[in-house]
Amino acid sequence: MKVLLTPRIEGFGGSRWLKPIASTRALAAVVFVFLASAAWAQAAAPAAQASVMSVLWKWAPLIFQGFLFNLLVSVGTMALGTVLGVFLGLAQVSPYRGLRRAAWAITQFFRNAPWLVLLFYAMLILPFQIGPVALPSWLKAVIGLSLPVMGNIAEIVRGGVLSIPTGQWESAEALAFSRRQILWMIILPQAVKRMIPPWMNQYAILTMATTLISIVGIQDGLTMTRAALVAEARTDLLVPMYLMLLLMFFVYCYPIARATLSLERRFAVKI
Amino acid sequence: MKSIVTALVGAIVAFGIAAEARAQDTIAKVKQAGVIVVGVKNDYKPWGFLDPSGKIQGFEIDLAQEVADKLGVKLEMLPVTAANRMEFLRQGRIDMVIATMGDTPERRKQVGMIEPNYYAGATNVLAPKSAGLKNWADLKGRKVCAVQGAYYNRRVSQLYAPEMIVFPAVPDALKALQGNNCVAFLFDNTLIVSTLAGGDPQWANYEMPLPSEDPQLWAIGVRLDDLDAPFGKLLKDMSVNWHKSGHLVALEKKWGIETSPYLVETQKKLQ
Repeated sequence: MKVLLTPRIEGFGGSRWLKPIASTRALAAVVFVFLASAAWAQAAAPAAQASVMSVLWKWAPLIFQGFLFNLLVSVGTMALGTVLGVFLGLAQVSPYRGLRRAAWAITQFFRNAPWLVLLFYAMLILPFQIGPVALPSWLKAVIGLSLPVMGNIAEIVRGGVLSIPTGQWESAEALAFSRRQILWMIILPQAVKRMIPPWMNQYAILTMATTLISIVGIQDGLTMTRAALVAEARTDLLVPMYLMLLLMFFVYCYPIARATLSLERRFAVKI
Repeated sequence: MKSIVTALVGAIVAFGIAAEARAQDTIAKVKQAGVIVVGVKNDYKPWGFLDPSGKIQGFEIDLAQEVADKLGVKLEMLPVTAANRMEFLRQGRIDMVIATMGDTPERRKQVGMIEPNYYAGATNVLAPKSAGLKNWADLKGRKVCAVQGAYYNRRVSQLYAPEMIVFPAVPDALKALQGNNCVAFLFDNTLIVSTLAGGDPQWANYEMPLPSEDPQLWAIGVRLDDLDAPFGKLLKDMSVNWHKSGHLVALEKKWGIETSPYLVETQKKLQ
């Protein structure tokens, strides 16, 4: 039944999967900037000091740990934001007008609020513990960041569902499916393919935005980088050290961006 | 779907659970747990800063360790910021805070301050010799770099009306000073002295040109109900001994801080 109702979706094989040449070039460019800044810092530094590269190498494991914490927060936020966003998005296409309007209002509010402000609100408003359960600050940050993610995912879900031609709904109704069945068995399986690229895009954006949590005192990669800079007390390290953190994010996020692009092409509907 | 949500909520709750036995007496609680949790700075050299393995060290950390040793428990350090340290203390997440906290009348309403204070700083600026600053009024209308959350920022900007450029951390502000983005860097006087005395050639053309102002005592903080309880008394006794034995002056030397007149005076007074 599903096969009959599937629209024509273009299916490239692996041919347009990651373009290795472009990604290698981009990576090489970032590494070049990184090395150049390190070399420049080295040239400016007095001979008695340890070399910039050796200092970076010394701190890299600690900063990488902080970076892993960013990833943990990004995964948690994405999971929570996706669950909430799916419900909110589906509520936006609900047949009940009141629900639809409320969901629309919530979505618009959280999509258009600054992330950092929502994060501050979550840190301030959420209690330190609920009953006997402690609410650590990283969890509050996850909740705070998941709000704008929720709003954006809701729009992705709404757009995905609406992008399926109405003919699909009508033919399914003609075959006596209930509304719930149509949504879960016919529309969503098709829409999910179209939602995945923007969803991944949202994830990459979120991952880079997780450095905001350093502002509310959580020990993430950016906090660790700052702490390392304080400990070294050398202003010439500022640029290379921040670039090292940037490189970590880049190496993680860039493949996601490439994969998103190729998936987009792969799932694009032929017109 | 419902079960997934339940599982997710369950997982979040499980992550957040931290057994929080809030006993009346902090000493009993700490001894029972075998660990004292102390709020410290990890981005304020040389008071509390990181080494590349991620361990926090510094002047204040040594004091915290001595408190833990005295109680015969392990020391657990939680990095705090100016914005969250008093909140953490009140919530019971930490048992004590020693994090470059100025002893002010407003704070005394929320936190028990241990006397005698372990340090006193004052405000001054680090500026290039070529700027030719003579007194505080010279700062009027000129760009001054400062660090977010420092207690002296407000006072200086109210009294001398400089154009404040506020940075998230010390290295960023110092870099801006070297890049001539501001005429002076507003900071703790002993730290400026230490920076200049370090013999680092990058500071050879800089000076601390103004008379130090606004002496500010720093204190160990405990919960208000601990102040006159055994825990607060223990800390006060320890603090008296630190002064009498010259331990604090020795620690200043160990961490490369210029001997502060306050410590010398207090030592004399107590003997």
